[in-house]
This record gives sequence, structure tokens and C-alpha cells, in this order.
Amino acid sequence: MKLLMTASQIHGLPVVTVRGGEDVAEVRDVIYSPEAGRLVGVTLNKRGFLAGRSREVLPAEAIHAIGQHAVMVLEESSLVARDDAPDEVAHPATERDVLGNDVLTEGGTSLGTVSDLVLLVGGSGEVVGYQIDKAGGGQGYIPLPAQLSVSGVALVVPNITEEFVADDLVGLGASVDDFRARLGLK
Amino acid sequence: MGPIGWLIIVVIVVVVAAAAVVVVRRRRRGGSVIATKDKR
Repeated sequence: MKLLMTASQIHGLPVVTVRGGEDVAEVRDVIYSPEAGRLVGVTLNKRGFLAGRSREVLPAEAIHAIGQHAVMVLEESSLVARDDAPDEVAHPATERDVLGNDVLTEGGTSLGTVSDLVLLVGGSGEVVGYQIDKAGGGQGYIPLPAQLSVSGVALVVPNITEEFVADDLVGLGASVDDFRARLGLK
Repeated sequence: MGPIGWLIIVVIVVVVAAAAVVVVRRRRRGGSVIATKDKR
């Protein structure tokens, strides 16, 4: 089943094994590739009230499923030691946290600031949009092209993004395909 | 100091300790959305 989820809904989810049902970790940071337009992995916290960062991480390939209440892995060995994991997951560029970044159209119009990332889970973890705090107040959702370059403190999106600002996740889900079709991506 | 004074001190200590636990927990739990670097 495919489902739209925000990164903040994934933060703090328990990581549970399919074989055994053990609760082995908790999601800390969500790492995605704007180039590939998909989730590349998550960093983990240990379980426990005041437990901190885990030495293991979870690359996207090792994720069995992401659901509303848990991230599922086949077994505990699916968690990968930082030394053995892809560098972008093992040592994420924490200065590249996109939350709070300005969203500007290519025409120079500010649409607001990023408050969350929207993922299509159930498949490859495709990144489909951002939740934004709109420049005029209130929250909205903008669809993203399949590929996007992120640099500095601003995300530059195509001009037509302004026409596709949705009020909720349902509206975003409905607009992604139209948006990409308009850009000639599908 | 009377019992009311001690009670006020205990309440202040409990509130400060609870706030400290919340701050420490938030710092330890983290939670960011990180974009990987563009390799092009």
C-alpha cells in the first residue's frame, strides 16, 4: 500500500523486525537525495527514555516497509554499522537540514519556508513534495519535480509550482502527477 | 522557614528538573531532514 507521510511522522517511529517483532531502534534523521528524488536512509536512536544516537544506521535498501506506526526491517542485522553504510547515510551533512529553508520560484517569488518533507512510502520512498509555512501565513504543500537541486539556504522551484500549492496532503497527492506532466516529466 | 516555604522550594525544584529532562531528551532525540550533496 502506498501512503503519503511527512518526515515528522517518521521521526521517532520504532524500528521493528518482521522476523521476531523486536523493537530494535527509533528513527532519528531522515536523509533524502534531491538528485534522485527519494529517501536514501535514516539515522537511528537507541531505545530508551534518554538514550542517544545509535552507532547503526538504516539505508533505504534495508527498509522492508514504512508504515504509520513503525518502520519494518527483516531482522536486526538489517541495521548497518556506520563504517559499512553508504557515506551519505553514515555521515549525513547535518548542515544541509532543509527545514527552515526558503522556497523561491525561478521568477523570484517566495512561496514560504520548508516545514516538512512529504514522502510516498510503500515503494522506493519517493520524495513528492514539501510542507511549507506560506509567505502569507498558514500551511501549504508544494509538489516537487522528480529531481531537484538543493544548495545554500533556498530551494529554487519551477514557476508553475505556485499554481499547485495544496492545502492538505490529499490535495498534494492529487496534484503531483499533473504538476510533473506540466513540466514534461511524465 | 515554614512549611509553605519548603513546599514552594520543592515545587520549584521539581519544575526545573522536569524542564531539564525535557530539554536533554529533545537534544538527544534530534530529528532533522537532511538533503544529500549534489554529485553532479
